[in-house]
Amino acid sequence: MSEARAAVTIKDLCLARGDAREIDRFSLTLHAGETVILLGEAGSGKDAVLRVLADLIERGEEAGGTIRFGEGETRPIARKQKNPLRTAYLPGTVPLPLDGRPSAVAQLSRVIARKLDCPRGAGREELRAALARFAGAPSLETLDGPAAALDKADLAFGLLAAAMAVTPELVLADHPFADLSPAAARRLSSALAGEQKRLGFALVYAAREPQPVLRLGGRVVVLRQGRVVEEGAAAHLLAGQTHAYTSALFKALPQPAAKPLRAAARGEPLLQVQGLVLQPEPRKTPRQRDMLSFELRRGAAMALVGEAGSGRSVLLRAVLGLERRPGRILFDAVDLNLLSEAMTLRLRRRVAFVTANDDALDPRMTLWDTVDEPLRAHLKLSRELTAGYRDTALKRVGLASHDGRRTVATLSPFDRRRLQVARAIVAAPLLVVVDEPLRGLDAPAQTTMRDLLAQFRVESQAAFLVVTSDFSVAEALCDEAMVFDKGRVVERGPIAALARMPKEDATRMLVEAASPLSREAAAV
Amino acid sequence: MSVPAPELTPARRILAGAGWSGLGVIAIAVMLADFLARVPLGTVHVGPDLAPPSQQFPFGTDLLGRDMFSETLYGLSTTVAQAGEAAILAVLAGGLLGFVTAHLPRWAGQALRWAVGAFAAIPALLLALLIIALTARGFQGLAAGLAAAPLAFVRAFDRARAATTLGHAEYARATGISASALLNRDLAYEFRDTFLSTVARALAAVAIILSTMSFLGFGAVPPHRDLGLMIAAAKASYMQAWWTAAFPALALMLVILLARLAAGLDEGERP
Repeated sequence: MSEARAAVTIKDLCLARGDAREIDRFSLTLHAGETVILLGEAGSGKDAVLRVLADLIERGEEAGGTIRFGEGETRPIARKQKNPLRTAYLPGTVPLPLDGRPSAVAQLSRVIARKLDCPRGAGREELRAALARFAGAPSLETLDGPAAALDKADLAFGLLAAAMAVTPELVLADHPFADLSPAAARRLSSALAGEQKRLGFALVYAAREPQPVLRLGGRVVVLRQGRVVEEGAAAHLLAGQTHAYTSALFKALPQPAAKPLRAAARGEPLLQVQGLVLQPEPRKTPRQRDMLSFELRRGAAMALVGEAGSGRSVLLRAVLGLERRPGRILFDAVDLNLLSEAMTLRLRRRVAFVTANDDALDPRMTLWDTVDEPLRAHLKLSRELTAGYRDTALKRVGLASHDGRRTVATLSPFDRRRLQVARAIVAAPLLVVVDEPLRGLDAPAQTTMRDLLAQFRVESQAAFLVVTSDFSVAEALCDEAMVFDKGRVVERGPIAALARMPKEDATRMLVEAASPLSREAAAV
Repeated sequence: MSVPAPELTPARRILAGAGWSGLGVIAIAVMLADFLARVPLGTVHVGPDLAPPSQQFPFGTDLLGRDMFSETLYGLSTTVAQAGEAAILAVLAGGLLGFVTAHLPRWAGQALRWAVGAFAAIPALLLALLIIALTARGFQGLAAGLAAAPLAFVRAFDRARAATTLGHAEYARATGISASALLNRDLAYEFRDTFLSTVARALAAVAIILSTMSFLGFGAVPPHRDLGLMIAAAKASYMQAWWTAAFPALALMLVILLARLAAGLDEGERP
């Protein structure tokens, strides 16, 4: 690698806005064909490095240090000058990097045409050719719809294809696969690695969780509050970390199969789903194999594992009463579809919901109001008692030090997620429904959230229904799992057995995508 | 939250503050009208006919020798009192009802929305004239309030319906929060966030309706002249004596401008 020419050399980069220092004395030499992963939480300085490389220093920012692209001259970073390398930017899918309404293909073709200085039709063909190179990528026609309506993994393939179509010399990847399922992220990472081998570009990859280190290898620079705390080859860091902060980040990686929290519960059935049709076809009697039946006993935990669009979210919405589907759903031996609205609400108050959707909590409400609401709505408690329950719950999730009069809108995604858990705790639920609990969180937040939910399960004795595309999450929180694929359950059973001997391809793919550290690290 | 945010930028917040302060000053002037006016309402021949503004008569006099300063003050007080009542009526009958209707079962709410939407398609002034024709003169405040109510209804309905389809509303329903608890929650925040600006917007809208009705001869009944009727009365003289129309018109413009400022310069025609 040392004989390869340096694609980028940054020396003593400092970037500050007023008194706030975004990055401090950061140096980096990146060669053609080399991968550098910038790993750290939000605000660690990754964003500043990417912006400097993309020449996007904002007004009001003070920049120090020097930069050199390829064989060009070394120049002060503060002096703006066109980057001589063909540079491609690879964004994540959340928030949506394209305009939501127009066709994604039209937008991406326009970007390619502008970069290659060619007609838009030629840009479209370049996009088609790039997509054809990736295994598991959608067709150009699939992407030819409103960008907001596309499956996130499909959109990520489109963005990757657009970046690769310009045959870049430098790729700036800004958390490109962070909000995707492990299986999709793995497919896309393989495609990115394959393209890097083919085109020989230098890759700077910003990540908030350590999974890309496993998938891409290369060199890792761990950043914290604008400073480099540790740096080294991926294999070395996976083998052992020197800095405590790096260890905390790597703790978020799936660990080798942990012992089940407790033996599968043998209590009474709490949730019974009978003959539920996830994808009803108009004017057709559903076939037996398309009907879903299962039961969840008190205190048990079941994972619904599958890719986006596999049908698990439909089941989740039906269980939560947000969508009606043919079939029966019994909660505590009562058919929810037969009850009056008032009776349904009485039962639903024993259901708690923790979801990755950031708009799940009313942004206008305060922390205290959010946690108090289930108590005020369902129980007639004194103000002191309500405050007592609320404070205990906030303490358990680590939000006790926050000002209770802050509104939800001012909280970070991690704090909002923890607030949902606090609200679930005060509701003393019989059933906790958890939907993609770790999606979009930084590595330390993922670890905290996983531990918090596991602890909640142990202490609450509630049954858990966990919807996830990450098999490691299912392993950490559940005893049993159902694997969904194309609207049907393809495999079900104890988690440990599914992880050890998956029978179906869909299960195997999910298990491999979230394989524990020991297995995948060996591959790296 | 994707409901149209009532958030004002700091600059618009300053303007809104200025608007409310100005309206406050007008409210005080209206309350003290009897003390501030030089002569009782409708007193004629206080001075020479059509005397221009002078030290003795700062706003001049009209055709009947009435002091224009006192008359404008009384007219302002009539307009503001009627517009205030009408604005509250529009917000309660329209806004509150629209908000509650959005929480009815979907088909019922939508049917009402369409019915009121059809009413809202009729220009508010025509609707007010129609209501006056069906009732009697003297109810112009009621007519203006009811005429502005459909627009307030539609706006409130759309905002509330958008709120009920948001993720947090689904989340609340899934965890057993009742529709009435959700309605209470939305109403409380809606009241806190938008009530004042809605009232201010309604005030501007109904002040225009009321003055136009009076200008056309369907509004205020003498001797209680409002600003619209004063401008109408100046039709015969304002070519020779501009002050007879200019000061009532300026007073009306001031009320509408301050109300719009108080609404954060939200130019929407809907209250």
